[in-house]
Amino acid sequence: MTIVTGKAEARRRLQSGRSGALRKIGEHRADYAYVLPAIAVMLIVIAYPIYYTIELSFFKTPPGLQLRDKTFIGFDNYTAILTSEVFWKVTWNTLIWTLGSTLISFVLGFATALALHRAFIGRGVLRAILIIPWVISAVAASYIWKWIYHSDFGIIGAALVGLGLADRPPNFIDSVSTVLPSLIVVNIWREFPFAMIMMMAGLQTVPEQLLRAAQVDGASAWQRFWHVTFPHLRNVSTVTILLLAVANFNSFIIPWIMTGGGPSNASHIWITHIYELAFGRQRWGVASAYSVLLFLILMTLGYFYVRALSGNERKEGSA
Amino acid sequence: MTRITLGSAVLRGTVATALMASLMSTSALGAPPVDLSKWSPEYVRSIAGTQDFDTAADCAKVTPLDYKGRLTFWYQGVFEGDPDLLRQYYKDFFETFRKTYPNIQLEEQALTYNDLLDKFRTALLGNAAPMAVRLQILGGTEFASKGYLQPLKPEDVGYSTEDFWPGAMKAVTWEGVTYGIPTNNETMAFIWNADIFKRAGLDPDKAPATWDDVVKYSKQIHDKLGIAGYGLVARKNAGNTPYRFMPQLWAYGGGVFDEATANPTYEQVKLDSPQSKAALQASYDMYVRDKSVPVSALTNQQADNQPLFLAGQLGMMISHPSDYDVMLDLQKKATGADKDKAQTVIDNMRYGLIPTGPDGKRAVVFGGSNIHILKPEYVEGGKVDEPAAKAIICMWTSPEWSLKMAYAGSNPGNLNGFKTKWMKERLDNIKFLDVTTSMLPYGIPFPALPQAPEIMNIIVPDMLQNALTGAMTVDQAADDAAKKVRDLMGGL
Repeated sequence: MTIVTGKAEARRRLQSGRSGALRKIGEHRADYAYVLPAIAVMLIVIAYPIYYTIELSFFKTPPGLQLRDKTFIGFDNYTAILTSEVFWKVTWNTLIWTLGSTLISFVLGFATALALHRAFIGRGVLRAILIIPWVISAVAASYIWKWIYHSDFGIIGAALVGLGLADRPPNFIDSVSTVLPSLIVVNIWREFPFAMIMMMAGLQTVPEQLLRAAQVDGASAWQRFWHVTFPHLRNVSTVTILLLAVANFNSFIIPWIMTGGGPSNASHIWITHIYELAFGRQRWGVASAYSVLLFLILMTLGYFYVRALSGNERKEGSA
Repeated sequence: MTRITLGSAVLRGTVATALMASLMSTSALGAPPVDLSKWSPEYVRSIAGTQDFDTAADCAKVTPLDYKGRLTFWYQGVFEGDPDLLRQYYKDFFETFRKTYPNIQLEEQALTYNDLLDKFRTALLGNAAPMAVRLQILGGTEFASKGYLQPLKPEDVGYSTEDFWPGAMKAVTWEGVTYGIPTNNETMAFIWNADIFKRAGLDPDKAPATWDDVVKYSKQIHDKLGIAGYGLVARKNAGNTPYRFMPQLWAYGGGVFDEATANPTYEQVKLDSPQSKAALQASYDMYVRDKSVPVSALTNQQADNQPLFLAGQLGMMISHPSDYDVMLDLQKKATGADKDKAQTVIDNMRYGLIPTGPDGKRAVVFGGSNIHILKPEYVEGGKVDEPAAKAIICMWTSPEWSLKMAYAGSNPGNLNGFKTKWMKERLDNIKFLDVTTSMLPYGIPFPALPQAPEIMNIIVPDMLQNALTGAMTVDQAADDAAKKVRDLMGGL
C-alpha cells in the first residue's frame, strides 16, 4: 500500500481523480441524458419540498397567521419537540407500531412462504387468497376492520358473547391499552402477504442440489433450513424487513381512519401526529421539524437498504 | 361538584336572557323580515307561506342571467348521516343554477364537514383555493382573520343584514368587517325512543328535564334493558363531538370562555371552572362509572349512533330533525324482521328540548354554514370571477334555496325563508321540526375566534377522551384542556 506524503502528490491524485470522474461522466453521457428528465422532476417534487420543510422547521407559524407571516426561531421547534411529553409518547407508539408490525409480518410472511413452497393440491388458490389483504384498498380495509372491532356491535365481540366466552364485547379500539395492539394486528394482516411474496421469490433462488446434498449427508429438516436455506435468504430478508420498516414508519391510513390517533393519543404515531399538527392545528413549523427528524430516521434506514441491495449485487457479481 | 346558589342562578338566568335577546333582537339599523321577539312554533307556522319570492329575478339584479363566466366552488355538502331528501335538494340546486345561469361554467366540489377545513387550508397554502367556498360556521373567522377572504355582506348580493340571524352574522364578522353570508342556521334537539323509556320504567312521553336526569335515565335504561342509554359522541376531529358536548358544558354554566354570555370577550378561559368540570363529570359518570353509553363513543360519530338507535339499541341522543328522515331511509333498506323492528323504533321516536343544567339553563350550539369569496391571490389562476361568485351566493342564500338546502336538517339562514311556501310544506312534511325551531333562541355560537376550530375539534374532544379513558382524572383533563387553550391564545 502506498503512503502519500507530499502535498504535491495529494493534489496530483485529486486532479487525476477529478479528471477520471469527468471522463467517466463523459463516457456515460447518454445514460445521464436518459435519467435527466427524471432527475429534473425529482428536484421539483422531492428536493424542493425537502428543502422547504427543513427551512420551515426553523420558523414559528402561529395558527392565527398566514404562513408568510412566520418568524424565525432557530432550533426552538426542535427543542420544544424533544422536551414535550407527547413526543416521547408518540415516539414510543411509533417504535411499538413499527417493530411489532415489521417483525411479526416478516415472520408470518416467511412461515407462509415456506409452507407454500412445497407442492400440494390447492397451493395456487391458497396463494391467491393470501395475497388479497395486500391488494385491497387500505382505506376500505380500515373501515371494515373498524366494524369488525366495534366495541358495541363488532363481529368479534358478538361471536365471543354468542359463544359464552365473554359477558360483553371486548374493547379493542376504545381503550388506551388495547388500541395499538389492535391496530398492529390489522397492519400485520395487510402486510404479511408482501413479506410472503418476497420470501417466496427468495426461496426460488435456493439451489435444489445443495438441499439434496445436505439431505444425502443426513442433515435434518431444521439443519437444512438453518444451514442451507436461511443463508441464501439473508439478503432478501434484510431488504424485506427494511422495506416493511420504512412503510410502517410512514404508515398513515390504518391508524388515521380507524382511530384518528385516539383515544387520548394512544394510537398516534409520528405520521398521524405530524398530520394533525400541520393540517388540524396549523403548527407548520413544529410539524416540519417532526418531519425532518422522521426524514433523518428514514434516510438511515434507506442507507442500510441500499447497502443491503449493494451487498446482493456484489454477491451476484462474484458468483 | 359545585352547588349553584340562588344568586348565581338569577345572574345566569339574566345572562341567558340577555344572550337570547342578542340572538333575536332587531338591529337598530333596520327591521328583520320576521319578528324575532315573537319566536315560537306557533309564530313560525303563522308566517309560513305568506310571501312569494322569485329567486331568478332577484339574483338577476345582482348578476345578469346571461352573464358569461367561470366559477370554482367548494362546499360542505351532504354526508353519510344525511337523509336522501337532502341529497336530492343539493342535486336540484346545482341543476337549477346551471339552468338559471347557462353561461356560467360552474366547477363545484362537495366535501364532508370533517374533510373540508384540512383540504381548504392546504389549498390556500398553495394559492390553489376555489373562488368561493361554503364553510362550516366554525371556520369563517379563521380564514377572515388570516386575510384570505374578501369582505362580503348580504347587501352585496341583494339582501339586507337584517334578513339573517344576528347571532349568525357575528360568526362572519371579524374586527368589524363582514366576510360572508350565512346559508343555514341550525339548532339540534333531544331525541328519545318512547318504547325503550317505557320498558325501562320511565315516562315514555317526557324527555329528561336536566342533564343530571340524562345521566340517571341512561343508567336506568342500561341497567334494566342492557342497552346504551345516551348516545355520547367523543371522537376527535369530528364536528359531532362539540355539537353534542358544548350544550352540556354551557348548561352546567361552563364554557371554553365566556361565549355563553351576551357580549363575550373571550378573555378568560373557563374550561377548568367548577361548572365545566361538573359537565365533564356527567360524561365521565355515564361512560366510566355507569357504562351506560356506547363503549365505541370515543371512535364513533353521530352517523354511527343512527343505526344503533334504529336497531333499538340506543335510548337517547342529540341530533337534527333530519334524523327522522334518516331513520325512514334506513328502514327502507332493512329487510325481514329488521324492517318491522325499525318501524317500531320510528313509531316510538320522540323529540324534545335539550335538557337544562342544574340552574335551569338550556343551551344548544347555534350552528350552520356560511358562504365566502376568496381574494384573487389565493385562488388557482389568480383571478376571481366576482359576478359568477355573487350569482351562486345570491341563489344559495335566497329565501327559496336557503330553505330548501336546509329542508330536513337545519333552518334557512335567510329569515325570509320562513315565509316561503316551502316552509309551510316543510312544517307538514318534516316531523318534529317545531322542536328544533323552538331550540333556536337557546343557540350559542361557537367563539368567533381564529383558534375556534382547534379548540372545538381537537382540545375539547381530547379533554373528553383523556377523562373517559382514565388517562387523566376529570380535574386533570379539564385543567390540561384549559392550559392548552391558554397556550393557544398566547400564541404558543
